[in-house]
Formats: sequence, C-alpha cells, structure tokens
Amino acid sequence: MTTDLLDRPITETEAQLLAIYEALKTIEGADLAPCAASNVRVALAALGIAVTDLGLVYEHLLDHKC
Amino acid sequence: MHDYGFWNPKTETLPREDLRALQFTKLQRLTAWAEARSPFYRRSFAAAGFSSDQLKTWDDIQRIPFLTRDEWMRSQDEHPPYGELPVAGPEAAIRMHTTSGTSGRTPLRALDTRKDWAWSAEMWCYGLWAMGVRPHDVGYLAFGYGTFIGFWGLHNGLEKLGALTLPGGAQTTTQRVKQIIDFGVTVVGTTPTYAFRMAQEAQELGIDLAGSAVHTLILSGEPAGSIPETKRLIEEAWGAKAYDTAGMTEISTIFMFEPKEQPGGCHIIEDHFIEQVIDPETGEELPYGERGERVTTSFGRGIIPLIRYRTADAVVKVPYTVAGNGRTFDLYEGGILGRVDDMKLVRGTNVYPAAVEAVVRGFPIEEFQIRIERVGIRDEIFLTVEPTADTTETQWVEMSERMGAELADAHEGLRFIIERASTGELPRFELKAKRLRDLR
Repeated sequence: MTTDLLDRPITETEAQLLAIYEALKTIEGADLAPCAASNVRVALAALGIAVTDLGLVYEHLLDHKC
Repeated sequence: MHDYGFWNPKTETLPREDLRALQFTKLQRLTAWAEARSPFYRRSFAAAGFSSDQLKTWDDIQRIPFLTRDEWMRSQDEHPPYGELPVAGPEAAIRMHTTSGTSGRTPLRALDTRKDWAWSAEMWCYGLWAMGVRPHDVGYLAFGYGTFIGFWGLHNGLEKLGALTLPGGAQTTTQRVKQIIDFGVTVVGTTPTYAFRMAQEAQELGIDLAGSAVHTLILSGEPAGSIPETKRLIEEAWGAKAYDTAGMTEISTIFMFEPKEQPGGCHIIEDHFIEQVIDPETGEELPYGERGERVTTSFGRGIIPLIRYRTADAVVKVPYTVAGNGRTFDLYEGGILGRVDDMKLVRGTNVYPAAVEAVVRGFPIEEFQIRIERVGIRDEIFLTVEPTADTTETQWVEMSERMGAELADAHEGLRFIIERASTGELPRFELKAKRLRDLR
C-alpha cells in the first residue's frame, strides 16, 4: 500500500508502521503459546489504533481477537 | 526530538474538505461492517430502505436511520443480556460497562474488545495532549472504579501517554486530598461537584490546594465544566486550569475536549466521530450556531457499531476557526448545554424519571415526587413518597430501605434521600403528570 485513506502518498515511516501492522495480523493467526498470542494481540490492537489515527487503514479487528 | 503541539498532527490539522473525506470513507466502511455483522442494523437499515452501498455523497448520510436509546434498550430486553447491536458475543470482548437505563430495571450494557478499549484511552490522549498534559505529569483519578465507566478511559489514557497514574478509588475525600499533596500530583480527573468537595475538604484540613503542584483539572460527568462561573470558582479553589470533556458509556469514551486555549467550547474529535446537530422535532440537520440535539456516529468501537445515535444532549456547534489554535476540528460552544429529553444528571449519574417511577411503582404507594436540589456544593436527589394509607411506620421503614436499595442499584449507587409524605399530601394529576422538579 502506497497511499492513505485520502489517496495521498504515505511516508517511509508510515509504510514501516503498516508493515508491522500487517505482520502482526499474519502472526496473530499462528499457533502461538498463550504468552505470545496475548501479547501479539495487545500489540496488534495498539498498532491498529496508530494506523487508524494516521488515516492509513480503517478496519475492525474482531476476526483477529482484538 | 520534535515538540509536537498535537497528539495527532496529521488529522487534527487536516483541511476541512480532507477531514470530511476521511470521515466519509470511514462511514462507508462502518455502515458496511454493521450491515454485514449486526442483526439489529441489518433489520434497521432494511426497514428504512437503506443499504451501505447507497452512501455515495455526504448528503446520503441523511438516509441512514437514527438509532435511539430506547431501541438499544428494547433490543437488550428482547435478546438479553446484550441485545442485537453487537456484532459478536461477550467472548469477543474484554470489558463490560453499564449505565443507568430508562426502565429502572435493566442497565444499558456496553461491551468493548481489546482494540475498542485501547481506542477509548486514545480518545482521552487527544484531549490530554491538547490540555498540555505530558509524560512528566502525575495524574490522579478521584473516582470509584467500578462498572460505571467514569474515568476509566482517562486512567488508561494517562498511562498510555506515559504519565505516572494514581488510581484514587476506595478512598475517603480526606485520603484523596492528602494523596494529591503527598504524591505531587499535577493533573486531577474529577467531576465538577467533587472538585468543589475536595477543595472544601482541603480547606477544613488546613491544606493550601492553590499552592499545590496541581496545574490541571480534567472535568467530566456534568455540564458544569463549561459553565464559566463554575469553572472560575473551581480554578480559584485549586489554583489550576480546569478543562471540560464529555463522553458516554454508549461510545465508551470522550468525543470532545477543551483545549489549552480555553476558547469557550470543546473540540469534537472529528477524525473518530461524525457529530451532527439536529432539530429534535423534525430530525433535520441544523447549521452552525443553532441549538439542537447531538447525534453521534463513532468509528472507534468495533463490537457495537454506533451510527447516527440520538444522544438527547443539547449542543451548539461552531466552526473550528473560533478556536484559532491550528486544529481544524469544530467545537461545541459551551460544551453540553443540557438535554432535549427529561433525563437529569445527578453527580455524573443519568436519572430518567421513568426509571425512578418503574422502581417506585413496585411498592404499595399512592403518589410520589422527585426533587433535585443543590445542597451546599453537592447535588442531592430527594424522593417524597406517599405510601398507601394503611402503611404502618414499621412497614414504611422497611419499604423505604428496600426502595432506596433498588434505586441505588438502578443508578450506579446513587443515594436517593427518601421522605414520607402524609396521606393526600402530594398533588394528583389527571393529564400529564409533573413529578420532577429540578431546583438547581
């Protein structure tokens, strides 16, 4: 993804945030120990807020247990 | 390190047309989410002949049906305990909070997922940052932690921002005042009424609050935070700036905050909400400067989509230019101005006359009256009850105790002062009864 919700180009740091967010979504579905699964969800919820605040993404994460 | 003047510089300073485009994109996705996942919205949209794919222009928002508190409560009653608004069951949530309902029997129950709850704190961070609160601050929450949502979000917002956060629950007022002094607290979250109470307590203890480290009071739960005279008295007593906020359990957090410049109103957090002001009679949207009913759409809570919710709060919206602080979020002038329905706010708790009546009528009574008064610095709610003529004094004592317990149970622990009227003393009504007097 190279643009935000307003179709404007995103910055390099925004792209990095998005990459982490997507990686967390992917790993959340993996078979993780409870200690890892819970903390990944905490991190995913936090990143979800950040990328929403920045207007990069808008979606709910119930399917990712967040 | 860059010194950011805004919590979210990117959206708080967006040109209005871009802000509106962002809101509209979110609205399209939110309505599609609600339509696909919430049985309530699926039915409600269909009944109104609306479908999320009809949202093409901003004016199409008017096609979305309103949601009322009565509809939410009815859904809870028909499909207990949470109704059909939620898109998932409680197994998907990590928090549940309640607020007093309109029936007197069932509270409104609101769920939050992990992300929803994190978002609730985030909205407080927008406000905290705008008030000048920073990570080096020491925050204190003077409220009883419970299922009443109160200052939970502020607590979590302070922690998220990086401030040292002291939970002041389960303390006497004396203990709270002493802790505020002893721990060098700089930011206090409280209702306006309790800000006065703590100031009075400090005076009795010989503590100079105005000379303390407290520089910021965050007020919520009552409209008084935006009443200039009340705010001035609080600021004088504390020697600190007082900032107004307002939120509601139905959205889980605040939707507006007063910025450091104190421009006479509160900014709406418009990248996370669409706030409309309507004529409560016609439902038509009103222009800037006209008093009407606040209708909110929240983008934050995923498990309970809140779309075009009629809050019954009375507000006047003014353009962002009034503030002149670089933020492009519009404001509610004077904060929340009152209600367009008959709900009363007593020490932060919603009181609906119908809910009180539902409890009182469960007892052998002839008539009753509700009276709300300011007693010293505190709002009190009195209930004058005329029991049936054959009620003995012993029966009255037992009945009034049970009535008080049930009323407190239905109103987040709020204490009603119950008085007995003699037989025939209270007025009778043939048409529209007038059983509530607000003398504040």
